[in-house]
Amino acid sequence: MLSVSLVLLLAGAWARGAAEYGSPQSLDRQLADLARREPNVVRVRELAESREKRRAWLVEVGLGSDTDRPTRPALLVVAGIEGNDLAGPFTAVAWLERLTAQARTDPPVAEMLKKTTIYAVPCLNPDALERFFASPRVQLSGNNMPRDDDHDGFVDEDPGEDLNGDGAITQMRVEDREGEYIPDPNESRLLVKADPLQGERGAWKLLPEGIDNDRDKHWNEDGPGGANFNRSFPYNYRYFAPEVGLHPVGDDETRALADFIVSHPNIGIVLTYGAADNLRGTPKAAKSPGRSKPMEAVDERDMGYFEVMGKLYRKVIGLDKEMETVSEPGTFSDWMYFHRGRLSLAVRPWDAALARALAKPKKTEDGKRTTEDEEEKPAAGSSSDPNDAKGDRKSARKEQEKRGAEQRQDLAWFDRHAPEAFVPWQTIEHPDFPGRRVEVGGYRPFAQTNPPAALLAGIATQQGDFLTELARRLPRIGIGKVECHLLAESIYEIEIQVVNSGFLPTALAHGETTQEVYPTRVIVDLEPACFLAGARTTSLPAIRGSGGTAKVRCTIRVADRSQVQFQVVSMLGGRAEGTIELLKTTAENR
Amino acid sequence: MTSISRIRVALVTSILSCSLLLAESGGQPEALDPADCALPALGAPHVRKVDVAWNRYYDHAGLGSILARLHKAFPDLTALYSLGKSTEGRDLWCLEVTARRVGDPSRKPGMYADGNIHGNEVQAGEVIAYTAWYLCHQYGRLDRVTALLDNYVFYLVPMVNPDGRDNWLHHVNGALSSRGGAAPVDNDRDGTADEDDCEDLNGDGCIAQMRIKDPQGRWKPHPDYPQYLMVRAKPDEPGEYTLLGWEGLDNDGDGRANEDGRGGYDMNRNYPYDWQPNYFQYGARDYPLSQPETRAVARFVLAHPNIAAGQCYHNSGGMILRGPGREGGAMQSADERLLEIIAQRGERILPYYRSLVCWKDLYATWGDQDTWLYAARGILAYTSEMWTPRNLYKNGQSPSDEDEAEFIKQVLLGDGFIPWKRCPHPTYGAVEIGGERKEWGRTPPSFLLEEEIHRNMAFALYHAGTMPLLRIGDVNVAPLGNRVYKVWVTVENQRLMPTRTAQDVDHRISPPDVVSLRGEAVQVLSSGRVTDRFFQRVAAVECRPERVPLETIGGMEAVRVQFIVQGSGSFTVTVDSARGGLLHGDSSLPAL
Repeated sequence: MLSVSLVLLLAGAWARGAAEYGSPQSLDRQLADLARREPNVVRVRELAESREKRRAWLVEVGLGSDTDRPTRPALLVVAGIEGNDLAGPFTAVAWLERLTAQARTDPPVAEMLKKTTIYAVPCLNPDALERFFASPRVQLSGNNMPRDDDHDGFVDEDPGEDLNGDGAITQMRVEDREGEYIPDPNESRLLVKADPLQGERGAWKLLPEGIDNDRDKHWNEDGPGGANFNRSFPYNYRYFAPEVGLHPVGDDETRALADFIVSHPNIGIVLTYGAADNLRGTPKAAKSPGRSKPMEAVDERDMGYFEVMGKLYRKVIGLDKEMETVSEPGTFSDWMYFHRGRLSLAVRPWDAALARALAKPKKTEDGKRTTEDEEEKPAAGSSSDPNDAKGDRKSARKEQEKRGAEQRQDLAWFDRHAPEAFVPWQTIEHPDFPGRRVEVGGYRPFAQTNPPAALLAGIATQQGDFLTELARRLPRIGIGKVECHLLAESIYEIEIQVVNSGFLPTALAHGETTQEVYPTRVIVDLEPACFLAGARTTSLPAIRGSGGTAKVRCTIRVADRSQVQFQVVSMLGGRAEGTIELLKTTAENR
Repeated sequence: MTSISRIRVALVTSILSCSLLLAESGGQPEALDPADCALPALGAPHVRKVDVAWNRYYDHAGLGSILARLHKAFPDLTALYSLGKSTEGRDLWCLEVTARRVGDPSRKPGMYADGNIHGNEVQAGEVIAYTAWYLCHQYGRLDRVTALLDNYVFYLVPMVNPDGRDNWLHHVNGALSSRGGAAPVDNDRDGTADEDDCEDLNGDGCIAQMRIKDPQGRWKPHPDYPQYLMVRAKPDEPGEYTLLGWEGLDNDGDGRANEDGRGGYDMNRNYPYDWQPNYFQYGARDYPLSQPETRAVARFVLAHPNIAAGQCYHNSGGMILRGPGREGGAMQSADERLLEIIAQRGERILPYYRSLVCWKDLYATWGDQDTWLYAARGILAYTSEMWTPRNLYKNGQSPSDEDEAEFIKQVLLGDGFIPWKRCPHPTYGAVEIGGERKEWGRTPPSFLLEEEIHRNMAFALYHAGTMPLLRIGDVNVAPLGNRVYKVWVTVENQRLMPTRTAQDVDHRISPPDVVSLRGEAVQVLSSGRVTDRFFQRVAAVECRPERVPLETIGGMEAVRVQFIVQGSGSFTVTVDSARGGLLHGDSSLPAL
């Protein structure tokens, strides 16, 4: 269990509830406990050590020997790769605990773990996770690699400061005629950009909370924070962008993860928690340019699998319509599809937009709408300009209502579900702005990217249900019909049918393009000289799931035995072995 | 008398004494060390503290020994260390060469030069070792070398891929094999790595070609060079042979010979800028800097922000290549111009070499080293493809196959070619094995090697000599009354290369160059860069007036900085430039 006392001491007020976010230390303990409790099914090892000497763990779940598990179809779950993701690590660990407990009580789960391997990296960036428990709490997406963000020759010289002493770095707004912002006419806690075309004049500056340590008239422009691991992978990597590190796969943690991927080619499905999301909607697809150009969208031949997974996901979390997918450059999940050819899914388990979409009225069976939450009704406002014509006034009002609507709706959601998430603006004396009105407030760190703790357990259950469903949708090869015909004394024609009883194909189309998913091979255990037609090793084309088949046919000359062994090896679909009985007699076999 | 002519007199005297000894010994010369009885030809050092024969290819231990002896002989000029270990645990040695007692070595503008990232491209190792040897011996003798080591630092890494090098030198190979490193790769995707390499079937220590007498064959021996050349039979004429490729067996019984040999990747496609995966760029490996060798080099370069020039040696083709590696890749026009100017000089230093843009004039590469050095680090870098067969007949023409056969026959007296010999083969029956030796084609023969490495070094030294060389020029103090003064500081760059290339400035790779002023009793009130020295326009800094950040100090240009100060007494002007060095200049405000 979590170290409740520690967490209660450190965690902020917005995260009260039955479940709590865990610190890196409590994560260490949780995983150690899990490995102790379930020694037959769980192995935990260190994947990497962080810059600040914390450990990123690799958890392996599965029954059977150390030689069997790496050959089985595998699912990989990666969380805490995006520094501000707390919900991912919580979810991953909760699922591992539940799944391994089920392995003892639930026969289908036990059966699955006999032929499937689960890998999980619950938190790749424990240093960033620690910021949630630090004082003051500050949200960073990366590690603490030193970086001269403002290129002034000094490194990390202007971090934020907790000016109002609430234990968190939030925001500050400064009354300033040069500011770009005005108060949102519909919500005084929020600011919107002044529109000079409407004759609006800025009145506020919006800055992160802190002082201008280096007196360069920029506030908190060069605090700690280096590489975001989920911007550090080679597909669509943006050199020189903030947070990308020195080069792709440039940190020990990302390199350890990449090396793990290379040394575990049995991984067929990957799910990454982070800012990107290709399950709440449908990602873009395009015709593959083959090997002549880098890919820019999902290969249209693979789209069906992404669509099906998206539908399944939205059903599990109760989202009844598609939302916009979110993509980011240099993510681990994109690397796993575009360069490694695996079905790679990305999930932001929670954000306010998703929370609002889930809270929208749903049609019930009797056709009536039920309301979990009323959507914010646009406030009846009036045009600020009395000279407007009537029609113009109407559209101007509409424009005015649209402006900032999303952030108002987000705030309304927080007011209803987690009012602590937004710190009310509080006037302070600021040394950089003597005699000026300065207010500190706004969203607490991590509050906009992670659910209130009260929702955590429910989200983790849904996400866990989905992960278990994913583990059931790997490719899985087996042996179908095996036939043997006697052609003449010692000469046989054999035919082996290979079946994919799993859901995914043995290789996605893009897995074949990248050549990172090797062809399924059938190896017949005979000397090369025994083959009159065919060969000892035959490579098969990709075999679709749900019962797809492929055949191998050989003519062999064997005098000295009555059986021939063969093996089927699939990189993603596992292995199978079989025996062909060589029938010595009669023409019935012909 | 100059020091050079003194040496000459001494040598002449020693030659005379040799001839006296000869006269006394009655018809037999005495077996002295001939090096003691010689006048060195121009170009080579006169005194050799470390004697090296530059007509052969040294292995990892050999090149390491040259560096170690140089370090021992020239402790004031060298530091010797390893950048890291190769896949098989060999050290990536680096000899740092600079006048260690002149200035701070870590703050001098630096040239990073390496070679042999491709294991088979062996002369790339010799040119680096030769450069180290030459610089050490000529320091204090040749003014240009003395200035280079006083002003700059050279990081010389002869072997980035020592595993590939040693394998190429010591094991059976062809001219093109052993290019990559030692990590196994499953090239034929059959679940087993490196299981079907070539074999030396006839035990002659070489991997050559196999041919078989075949009534359906489409090849026959060349009528004029039957021992050396195979040609295609005419379309309507029968041939005599079928060519079977490299010497070897089908070890894994898959019906193909030699399809999954040692390694199978290209570390010069493993650098992180514009990296693309293996299916798109062959040899790239699984992710950028996945290999210990490339990672060690990248870490070293990242840890040495003073590196301003880069040189990567390869073979062959006689090319001075610059980026970008791909069409539309990073290349700022100001930097392109500099690279072109420097390489044009290289074309004169290196006969038959051509200055080329990689993607346009050769082929597109993704993830290559010089692109990374330039695009990601802002370093002006070249890839030199050493040796061209245009040098065989010294006429600038690419020789024909017959010309090459003629060279092997008449100039090398047959060396360079393995005569065809019969050998049994389990699949093909009786084959004949023969053909070119691995050394032929991509590496110069012994008597041309020294020229090749000297000229390539000369180009690198020219390139190094264009690195920024800063000087604090005039410091003008003009009184404004009330103990307030206007101080103008001129910072000159006396060389071609700017302190920060356009790529560096554009992507904020290096920190800004900073000119600062400090004095105990001096307060800086305002400061800025002089944008027009005649009209006295100044762009004032926003904050911290004691330091003026500059984007760059252009090549052969001067930057002027203005400080408005109040106070009295002495002050120090400091110029701090990652690639231009750290300079201090003392001055003072006029006494009241």
